[in-house]
Amino acid sequence: MDYEKILEEQMNNVIDPEQAGIISEKAGEISGSIAEEFTMEKILEATLSGESIFKSQQLIDGLKSLVLYEIRAALVLGVEILIICIIIGLVRNLSSSFGKKSMSDITLMVCTMIIIGISVNSFRLAYELAVDSVTTMVSTMEILTPILLGILISTGSIASGTVMSPVVIGAVTGTGIILKRLILPAMFAATILTLVNCLTEKDYVNKLSKLLRNAALAVTGLIIAILSGIISVQGLITDASDGLLINTAKYSLSTFIPIVGGFTADTAELFVRCMGTIKSIVGIFGIIALILVILTPLIKLLAIALIYKLTAAAAEPICESKISDGLNDMGSCIISLGAVLFFAALLFIIFISVIIGMGGG
Amino acid sequence: MADNLLLWVKDIFLIIISLSFFRILLPESSLEKYLKFIFSLIVLAVILEPVIRFQ
Repeated sequence: MDYEKILEEQMNNVIDPEQAGIISEKAGEISGSIAEEFTMEKILEATLSGESIFKSQQLIDGLKSLVLYEIRAALVLGVEILIICIIIGLVRNLSSSFGKKSMSDITLMVCTMIIIGISVNSFRLAYELAVDSVTTMVSTMEILTPILLGILISTGSIASGTVMSPVVIGAVTGTGIILKRLILPAMFAATILTLVNCLTEKDYVNKLSKLLRNAALAVTGLIIAILSGIISVQGLITDASDGLLINTAKYSLSTFIPIVGGFTADTAELFVRCMGTIKSIVGIFGIIALILVILTPLIKLLAIALIYKLTAAAAEPICESKISDGLNDMGSCIISLGAVLFFAALLFIIFISVIIGMGGG
Repeated sequence: MADNLLLWVKDIFLIIISLSFFRILLPESSLEKYLKFIFSLIVLAVILEPVIRFQ
């Protein structure tokens, strides 16, 4: 019986294919064809034959079509805003022939409010996208963590498994709630304030919106620093005590049982190693699923942000600097939204990597 | 908490839009600069409202 068979059998024993299917399905729903490349079976095959799991040509093609599609979809928004900016420029130049100043002022205000309306609409879509992908990431982690921790305990890391289980699940759920209830609404508020600032001649709430945005980013950074620190240090400590346990078990098996003790210890060793490999495979699958879940929303947000920045650059010569500044800040707000998403994904990936790194004697 | 934040931002949004609208409608006079100052005070009061209510 060779090790590949043992691995496959153990894998089928340990993993419920239904749960893995749910994760794959969700990732596939979001990022389309790229997700089909990375199923758990394919990663297992690649691990056994020692090949790379990334088919570079297909990956590049998929990414390229995704980026181009999102930019094309966001281009409509930029063109709409640019047309209104041109109208504003025209009205401003014609205002001397209108006679009354308040007439052209009201026209300008209405045009600016149309720009604000379009921007708020597109930002609301981006915001809902961000909330959705945070929810998807958290539920992916909630499916994945129990599987991973179960495998971790069956590699013999009993202390690590029991300590990590509440810490990781609590941290994942807590991060999801804080992101959805506190940080993303603060981003929303900051964006609204940025847009209101376009309306007035004087800066009323410019600094306030920047304060809100930076505070939200800082809180995200703080959460990530604290949680990843706790998880890594806790992992190191329990890992040391587990290594001691496993080595003692192996030593006493081979020493105190006469004749067959050596074989038994080797079998136990093989079992632990196999479980370690399965843990790596499931963990890698989880990391790839998380990246796939985050990829499309992130590319979409960055495409929208790019379009806002381009529109701001294009609108600068024809209309007031106030509006182009506002569009530029709008782009920065969407980039910050993407940054929060990216940080959350990074935190979850750190969790999985720590669990992969633990155990194995 | 998030609901309060969004309510506060909504207040600021409405007050700034209505004040800039009023400013356009007002006739030009020597009082305009005082009015501008008063408008800024109103915006300040709305921005500081959660701090005042906090206690």
